[in-house]
Amino acid sequence: MTVSARIGESMTHTVLVGDLKTGCNGDMLVTHALGSCLGLMVFDPVVKVGGLLHAMLPLSSINPQKAQVNPAMFVDTGVPLLFHLLYEQGAFKGRLVVKAAGCGNPMGKNEVFKIGERNYTVLKKLLWKNNILLESEDVGGTNSRTIHFDVSSGEVTLSSGGNKRLL
Amino acid sequence: MTPKEHPIGAQVEKFPGMPGAAVKLLALVDEPCVSVPQIESILRQDPGLTANLLRLANSAYFGIPSKVGSVRQAVILLGLKRLVQMVIATCTSAIMDRTVPGYDLPAGELWRHSLAVSVATEGLVRELKLDAAEEIFTAALLHDVGKIVLGQFVQDDYAQIALALDQGLAFETAESIVLGTNHAEIGAQVLSKWSLPEGIVHAVRWHHEPEKAERPDPMLDVVHVANMLCLMIGIGVGREGLNYRPSPVVTKRLGITTSHLEKVASQTLQWANELSQALAA
Repeated sequence: MTVSARIGESMTHTVLVGDLKTGCNGDMLVTHALGSCLGLMVFDPVVKVGGLLHAMLPLSSINPQKAQVNPAMFVDTGVPLLFHLLYEQGAFKGRLVVKAAGCGNPMGKNEVFKIGERNYTVLKKLLWKNNILLESEDVGGTNSRTIHFDVSSGEVTLSSGGNKRLL
Repeated sequence: MTPKEHPIGAQVEKFPGMPGAAVKLLALVDEPCVSVPQIESILRQDPGLTANLLRLANSAYFGIPSKVGSVRQAVILLGLKRLVQMVIATCTSAIMDRTVPGYDLPAGELWRHSLAVSVATEGLVRELKLDAAEEIFTAALLHDVGKIVLGQFVQDDYAQIALALDQGLAFETAESIVLGTNHAEIGAQVLSKWSLPEGIVHAVRWHHEPEKAERPDPMLDVVHVANMLCLMIGIGVGREGLNYRPSPVVTKRLGITTSHLEKVASQTLQWANELSQALAA
């Protein structure tokens, strides 16, 4: 499910947990409260299309039925879907700018709770297999993160712990 | 200074009480034989509550195939304990739906978190095949009620709390150092004042520090895990982020694995939405 609102000339699309959204020139893609979840931003600067994925869990094998209905919930099904949707809109693999955020973990060394770390590992494996490099990333730690992705310029603004910066 | 004279203690004293119908129904839970007319007569005093209760009983989350049209049917199909849980949920949604300063939770987010933790606890109980008390739903629903009382105090002293966090302390420890108490302890005080069962108060008091509790309790352990899980998947995660420490002792005690956690996480959003739609309708 997505929430969209027109502000001035641009359209702001809010991407909820376990969701993805693509946009074109003039769109702003926003996602809030990235804890352990992966936020993945992909942009083609020539065609000016971009997409944002907010995936909750690493592998769809944990709940294949859910993955059928909602592939964006999982990194292993959500990431390929995001790329395919962008290719359908004219994006070209060689031009794509890919950025990642989120994948945080709670404090301590309790391995059971390291869902964020596992999300990041699955992402890196997928990208590596497909010869895609991350342009930049802000991952790990205990902060919650919010992302504003301006699809006109490709700029990704990350807000976390009261601070804002470009990713 | 007595607790009532302390500014935080004074806020606990001023906090809204539990509505009369919920208190009367709670008192019946432990009685050996309770009749349906007794329950009906309590609920008749509050027609709005009955209407909300029936809407909730018909929500997809509870999965009752036939339509629940009366209090009598609700008691027969769901049982008194489940009914009381729903009354408490119906009565507390307005209190928990507010904006919470300090933790920077927008309106509705604490309530969404509370519902998510409730359904995640029940999911974990099923997944782990645990024998936990039925009241676990209510313990989970109300575990963060203390944030409503403490929010303004957290906001006022956030700079000091942030300094404590920088030293690697967990958020509830930072609250305790700076404010002399934390949201779990304050929540337990509110629920004691509401005369909720001791088991619920115990689980709420120690939901961030289960190892400090005077006795191990599966209800406490599951609320601890479900709360952490919901924060991790971004439901109700506020300014404090993931600055909490999941207990390795609890992980071992419950025998919980990554698969259990991820399986429940994959269903939590849907369950929480089903409940939330019924309460918001």
